[in-house]
Amino acid sequence: MPGRKVNDVDQRTAKYVIIGGSAAGMTAAHTIRARDPGSSITVLSDEPDMPYYRPLIPYVVSGKKSVREMALHGCGPYTGTDIRVETDSRVTSVDTEAKTVFVENGGSVRYGKVLFATGSRPFIPPDIEGIETPGVFALRKLLDAREMHKRAAQTSHAVLLGGGLLNLKAAFALLERGLEVTLVVYSPEVLSQLMEPRDAAPVREALDDAGLKIRTGAAAVAVESDSDGVAGVLLDDGSEIACRMVCIGKGVRPNVEFLETSGIVLDSGIVADACTACSRPDTFTAGDVAVTHDPISEDRVMTALWTNAVEMGRCAGLNMAGVQTAYAGTFGILNATQIARLPFVSMGVVHTSGLDCEVHRHRSRGSYRKMVFSPDGARLVGMVLIGDIRNAGLYRHVIRERMEVSHIKRQIIDHSLHGGHFFR
Amino acid sequence: MAQPKEIFVKSERCLGCMSCMIACSVEHSPGKTLFSAIAEPVVPKSRVYVEWAPPAKKIPLVCRQCEDAPCMFACISGAISRNDDGTVVTDADKCIGCWTCVMVCPYGVIGRDIDAGKAYRCDRCPDRDIPACVHACPTGALLYETVPDYSKSMRQKASEELARAEGE
Amino acid sequence: MSFSEKTLSRSVDPATQRMLDVAEKEGLETAWDRYEKMLPQCGFGELGVCCRNCNMGPCRISPFEDTGPQKGICGATADIIVARNLIRMIAGGAAAHSDHGRDLAHTLLLTAQGKSGGYEIKDEAKLAALAKEYGIGTEGRTKEEIALDLAESAYAEFGKQEGFVQISRRAPSPRVELWKKFGIDPRGIDREIVEIMHRTHIGVDNDAVNLILQGLKASIADGWGGSAIATEISDVLFGTPVPVRSASNLGVLKDDAVNIIAHGHEPVLSEMIVAASCDPKLVGKAKAAGASGINVVGMCCTGNEIMMRHGIPHAGNFLQQELAVMTGAVEAIIVDVQCIMPALGDLCECFHTKFISTSSKAKFPGAVHMQFSEEQGYGIALQIVEAAVDNYVNRNPEKVVIPEEKMDCMVGFSTEAIVGALGGTLDPLLDAIKSGAVRGIAGVVGCNNPKIKHDEGHLELVKALIENDVLVTTTGCNAIACAKAGLLLPEAAEQAGDGLRGVCQTLGVPPVLHMGSCVDISRILTVCAAVANALGVDISDLPVAGSAPEWMSEKAVSIGAYVVSSGIFTVLGTVPQVLGSPLVTEVLTKTANDVVGAAFAVETDPVKGAQLMIAHIDAKRQALGI
Repeated sequence: MPGRKVNDVDQRTAKYVIIGGSAAGMTAAHTIRARDPGSSITVLSDEPDMPYYRPLIPYVVSGKKSVREMALHGCGPYTGTDIRVETDSRVTSVDTEAKTVFVENGGSVRYGKVLFATGSRPFIPPDIEGIETPGVFALRKLLDAREMHKRAAQTSHAVLLGGGLLNLKAAFALLERGLEVTLVVYSPEVLSQLMEPRDAAPVREALDDAGLKIRTGAAAVAVESDSDGVAGVLLDDGSEIACRMVCIGKGVRPNVEFLETSGIVLDSGIVADACTACSRPDTFTAGDVAVTHDPISEDRVMTALWTNAVEMGRCAGLNMAGVQTAYAGTFGILNATQIARLPFVSMGVVHTSGLDCEVHRHRSRGSYRKMVFSPDGARLVGMVLIGDIRNAGLYRHVIRERMEVSHIKRQIIDHSLHGGHFFR
Repeated sequence: MAQPKEIFVKSERCLGCMSCMIACSVEHSPGKTLFSAIAEPVVPKSRVYVEWAPPAKKIPLVCRQCEDAPCMFACISGAISRNDDGTVVTDADKCIGCWTCVMVCPYGVIGRDIDAGKAYRCDRCPDRDIPACVHACPTGALLYETVPDYSKSMRQKASEELARAEGE
Repeated sequence: MSFSEKTLSRSVDPATQRMLDVAEKEGLETAWDRYEKMLPQCGFGELGVCCRNCNMGPCRISPFEDTGPQKGICGATADIIVARNLIRMIAGGAAAHSDHGRDLAHTLLLTAQGKSGGYEIKDEAKLAALAKEYGIGTEGRTKEEIALDLAESAYAEFGKQEGFVQISRRAPSPRVELWKKFGIDPRGIDREIVEIMHRTHIGVDNDAVNLILQGLKASIADGWGGSAIATEISDVLFGTPVPVRSASNLGVLKDDAVNIIAHGHEPVLSEMIVAASCDPKLVGKAKAAGASGINVVGMCCTGNEIMMRHGIPHAGNFLQQELAVMTGAVEAIIVDVQCIMPALGDLCECFHTKFISTSSKAKFPGAVHMQFSEEQGYGIALQIVEAAVDNYVNRNPEKVVIPEEKMDCMVGFSTEAIVGALGGTLDPLLDAIKSGAVRGIAGVVGCNNPKIKHDEGHLELVKALIENDVLVTTTGCNAIACAKAGLLLPEAAEQAGDGLRGVCQTLGVPPVLHMGSCVDISRILTVCAAVANALGVDISDLPVAGSAPEWMSEKAVSIGAYVVSSGIFTVLGTVPQVLGSPLVTEVLTKTANDVVGAAFAVETDPVKGAQLMIAHIDAKRQALGI
């Protein structure tokens, strides 16, 4: 059996062991504590920082918020007590027979039940030369944000690779520091994962107005460097952009390496059943690392969203505490944010070109919306709201419940749906 | 802990006069009177909404202060917490205006303050004994009672109706 | 062309749908949009239980006995508040109609004195008939002398303190006796309106029935007073209408001509605009600017007036006024008073259209004011038309969308014209009624209202009536709805029941007779009075009924009140603001029968409304033994 030798001094036990101290892990921990006030809960995090709200780290880059303001503990539902959190404790392997997890610094912990909530890490494209150069970042952890914050002081121009939400947020954080920022995007338009190019037009306008430079249809092939680290980026069309910082936002990969020999079934991520359980007894999974299902398409899907991770973590926590609960599944796309004073929400099926579905679009000054219905027009399967995002939660409810919408279809198309329509 | 009071809505009593909305806006304005409220540079916002559902229903909607609040879990900045008397509150300082709470609220009662870039919702008027909207409603469409009291009055009505029906 | 479900749900008229589609795509706001934003409308207002008549208030009565105030601060109950609000609406409506009549009398006065600019006395026969009615001698006198006396007599009706309103004596004597018996025979036009305002002041009349009776009184002074004077004097000055062909709907706008819309109510203005548009110099100017000519069209009641007398095409009814501007083809929309939306100001700024107000009583935001006066009527009209012609070059052809719908119609059925069509007497009509070929007569009138699918209320009701052999007389916005749908063509007789079809085909008239503008409902009263007198009965015995399927204005409340006061059962298609008082509701829908021999019914479904009218007509037929 691989992994460290079992050592009496380092052997510990906890009824509930949670690997990963972010959204899924901490929500599970506090959910368990709310139902089981006495049992031991241990969270093992590989980060040096106590758990924090990951989506806020761009504010560390811009300097607008301090690290202290991001602490998870005491906020929202994270008000439980007696949860032991061990930082700098990367788990290297799991023995599901002996029900033990092994930690990199030499210790191990025996578990009654274990939750794998190790999340995901940024994908670094292997085919870009010089990607290891100092000054190249992927914004994922607090320590990344601290480093970027420091380097930004000596940077006048930063290049961000990838047009997704995370990079847009990093871009704005850097713009606020006074840097010039260029976004290099492979797709024809930004936010290609969340909406079609046509839908993204109002967002694109807002970004252009905010001073962000955007190059679409381009990819980086190499990072150039000098004695100070990053000096520039070479693109696939042969052009060069001089810069002192590069930030990569090209998606994420699930952290599953520690389970290679554990016998847990993997499918890129960790496979979860309807009640978040994995393939071995007393093992559960939640968050970015988990493979769950999309309630609309019924496909297997993995998401990289805080909100979904929290929900799934909560569900896992309930199941671990003995309350059997099915996870309602998640939309592949479920996002809400504000970019350059323009709020937007996108959820469900939003990539509609070539798809058999009924689409209603409406564009007016300052706002845009797209409602996507099933091919028979009877159900709402997706939507994009830009600008006017009132009542977005109601559409999520309608999509998720796979409601038959004929009695409210006109209201959905007109975006005049409100809570009163659900009263009988 | 004593039973907290909730705002119950009897939509069949709602006439759509929107007195609740005016009272709420005024209560959440610096001057707290109607005449000062309408002169303020930043328009005070109502946290209660009166919506119309065809053909003729008028429905007041306000934050339900859910026990199991989706907004609290969804908030990515920890701005939404439950305070000591059980009210779910949005901390404006922590709010970064990402609107995830708007996206998950099944009642659509979280509002967006465009100027400040922050979310806001009903705070159950902590400075008053009775929330402003309840106080202002002229037809009793909004009630401020504990769940046991409200349920009891419902049971009373139901039992009277049953007794009437059986008596026939 | 496929329109959104929202557009299709708002109107049944294809031209309106086309323009609503344009509005939706261009992001232009319409009355329908503002209606949706207004929802939910305040229930206290809807029930009529909101009172702002004094500063102890505002007060509102809760419709729920167990919660909320049950009396106003002065002690007024819901019954009192509803009654007061109702008769104040009558006052507003009667005032509008009566001012219209006053302006006509004034124009006649100036014309008789030779001081008016561009007006003349066209119908001397009518002048003589009216003179006789007012006891004015005509032997050996010039028409100006007669007209002067008539104008002064008409004028005097307004300020009269005691006596009676002359034209009300056309009503059968049992009717007049009934009015006298219940104290509702009006003494003078303005007096009754003033008394409404007095009685509804805090601490005056606090008896709901007493209040309603005064409301009826003022309304009679409108229908048989102010409105009637407006109708008759308009006939004297501009000619009594005779059957004439015309066209209606937005398609009457031309893409190659200077388009001018005359909108509002008084022919004092629109007649001059029509005349000025024929001025050769102005026509020449228009042609020099590249237009084929000057195309004057009407909207709302002033449009009805010039259509009835000159066959001038009519562009649309009340809810279509914004849509007309949205065609992008209107050089000027010239307005005087009543039913003009202030929204036109902002709307015209999106187009080259000039929004021109002309009455010192009616100013609008965003309008250019060119004050009209009867003394220089024609001269000012020339200036106004010239302003429109000069605006032609500013038209943007790329923004022009004119719906193709344009329906022919036959209009101009004044009382005299109907009698003329019948061969000089009412006998053929009476025979047809007795035989049952014509089951009865209906007067279907009134506005548009976004609460009712545009024109659907009007058309479904009228079609149901003519299918059942009821001859329909129409005025106002209902007449335009019928015109647009082709019901004002003789060919429409094919949609009528066998009896009515036969009569119409024999006479060569449509089954729906356009009798004019809203003040011309006085014509309908005159016909009913004549038929009642011929049969030796009261109007309340006649197989007749009225309806306003899509009403909205206070004028309509006054009209409804005087039609019912005249003994005619009336069906309202939108709910009046009275349901907060069960007493007032009962008085209006039941008890009125015991007083004036007729009552109201409220029915939002037009087909059911027609059935109520038909049932009523049948009951009256039976009582008459025919």
